[in-house]
Amino acid sequence: MRRPGLRARVTAGFAIAAFIVSATVALLSYQLTENYLLGERERSALRATAIEAGIVKAGLAGSNPDIGAVLKALDTGGKRRAVIYRDGTWYGRNADFGIKSTIPANLQAMVSSGQAGAQRIRTDTGPALAIGVPLDDSTSFYVIDVMQELDRSLQVLALIITLVAAATTAAGAALGWYAARYVVRPLTNVVAAADNISAGDLTARLDPSAEPDLARLAASFNKMVDELSARVQRDRRFAADVSHELRSPLQTLSAATSVLTRRAAGMDAKAAAAAHLVAGEVQRFEDLVTDLLELSRSDQPASLEPVDIAALTRSVCRTRGVDTAKVQAPPDDVVWRVDRRRFQQILANLIDNAEAHGGGLHAITIRETSQGRYLDIDDDGPGVSPPDRAIIFDRFVRGRAAGARGDGDGAGLGLAIVHQHVTAHGGTITVTDRPGGGARFTIALPTEPT
Amino acid sequence: MIEDDDRIRMSLGLALEDEGYTVRSAGTAEEGLAAQRADPADTVLVDLMLPGIDGFECIRQLRRDGDVPIIVVSARDDTHDVVAALEAGADDYVIKPVAVKELSARMRALRRRARPAQASTLTLVFGELEIRPQAGEVLLHGELLSLTRTEFRLICELAEHAGLVLSRQQLLERVWEYDYGDDRLVDVHIGRLRQKIEDNPSVPSRLITVRGLGYKLQR
Repeated sequence: MRRPGLRARVTAGFAIAAFIVSATVALLSYQLTENYLLGERERSALRATAIEAGIVKAGLAGSNPDIGAVLKALDTGGKRRAVIYRDGTWYGRNADFGIKSTIPANLQAMVSSGQAGAQRIRTDTGPALAIGVPLDDSTSFYVIDVMQELDRSLQVLALIITLVAAATTAAGAALGWYAARYVVRPLTNVVAAADNISAGDLTARLDPSAEPDLARLAASFNKMVDELSARVQRDRRFAADVSHELRSPLQTLSAATSVLTRRAAGMDAKAAAAAHLVAGEVQRFEDLVTDLLELSRSDQPASLEPVDIAALTRSVCRTRGVDTAKVQAPPDDVVWRVDRRRFQQILANLIDNAEAHGGGLHAITIRETSQGRYLDIDDDGPGVSPPDRAIIFDRFVRGRAAGARGDGDGAGLGLAIVHQHVTAHGGTITVTDRPGGGARFTIALPTEPT
Repeated sequence: MIEDDDRIRMSLGLALEDEGYTVRSAGTAEEGLAAQRADPADTVLVDLMLPGIDGFECIRQLRRDGDVPIIVVSARDDTHDVVAALEAGADDYVIKPVAVKELSARMRALRRRARPAQASTLTLVFGELEIRPQAGEVLLHGELLSLTRTEFRLICELAEHAGLVLSRQQLLERVWEYDYGDDRLVDVHIGRLRQKIEDNPSVPSRLITVRGLGYKLQR
């Protein structure tokens, strides 16, 4: 399972903490409020009952009193219902008579034994308080005080507290999300710098003063890039210096060899063969040095200019001795912004590759779609096997057909140069099977921002 | 040939003689300049890295003396050096190691540049600018301009197609006879031409750049 992102986790953490705090506060305040309100209500109910008990007791003082009339005389209102238990018989107003069954047995027992008491009960009309007061040995006075309005208040309170808790949790989550975003934001600079560096811009650095908390990260990051950059520069300079130093002796070799080969006809057979070998190797050496210099330069940014790609492709075909009818392009002018010199090199190397290892060039197709700009170079060879596709653009990888290092074979830098040049254009190059056989090299360049 | 590396001087000299040229060589710019003044050669090949006077200064002095075709033969290939050598007045630039056949082809192309392919006998007039292809003369405000062969050939090419845009590629093919080559050759020579034919070279009114396409001479 994928671990959730930092931002998701920070957000969840803030939300959970906010929920725990707000739920605890809500529960505590509900409990306290409920206890306080109920306590108040009980005290006032008990006070009222004590007064009523006094009135009833006085009303029952005479002989043979009318218990019904005494009860009716009490002004209990709709929420308080009074009943009297005397000598095993219940007395009450008709409407109140039914409530005697709601009086708990243990309260009755307590009152019968001469002790006043109160107990919370539930009735059909909501929570209520049952209060019992002994009037004399055989008479008990009970009041059922329905606390419906208090119950409603508590319900409203519970609802409000729940909503506040939910809102607090949501606010916590929002705060967490924002905080995570705020904390992560400086890291986007790091990401941008790292992207630039991997795209070949070794001058990208972080500003350590921009975010004091990330100064150490910025410092280590910059140090890492400095070292990487120095190393790349060293490697590049070494390749460039070596190639450059080789140019002068190569010039001597090249010129001297041409003098030799021109006279090969007049030499004996062995000398002529040797002269031919030297000429071939000098040529290969020259190509290698040219390619190495090209590679050591090719991570410099491309200098883009509008170029008629179809015309350029045809002109490269002509220099390679390839039929220009093999170039298929849309009828309208196809003008791409590319580095002309490097694009020539890309095309020349791919055409040479097709001619040397791909059984000859089949076709070059220039395509433009809304997704991008494409150039397919198809050949008539056996294609490129999937394991070879992964390494074919590496340096010093030679074509299979040239395993024995045939005459005029390159050093295996041609496709590496193509790859670097395409990358410098922000594009990609892939190799697939051409429908109908052979390999297809596809250059994909992103569409231009207009 | 002005080249400080003895072996290159020798081998290139031998190879060019095989191609039918008579080669005289010098190991320093001072020596080469003196030889050129005493007995001018048809074409000068010059290296850039020379002891004493360097190749750039050597080209400038050769240019001050006349319009002899100059080809740079150098191991240095960064844009800065190429442009500086062309701005100093070189006609062409090849990078070592260069095949003798290629160098020879460049020299022949440069010699052919003396006259346009089909030189018009007419005088082409563009306001104050007058071009006489057959006579090899260009006049501005009635005064004769001193142009190198390459500059002359370039302006003739543009004048024959006045009002039309010629791409760098077309100019490379027609003036330098390159199948495909270096745009910097064209750009630097256009710049040099503007110095001579424009009243205000930084705001050209005759030789116009058409962005993304090439150059044209205004009718």
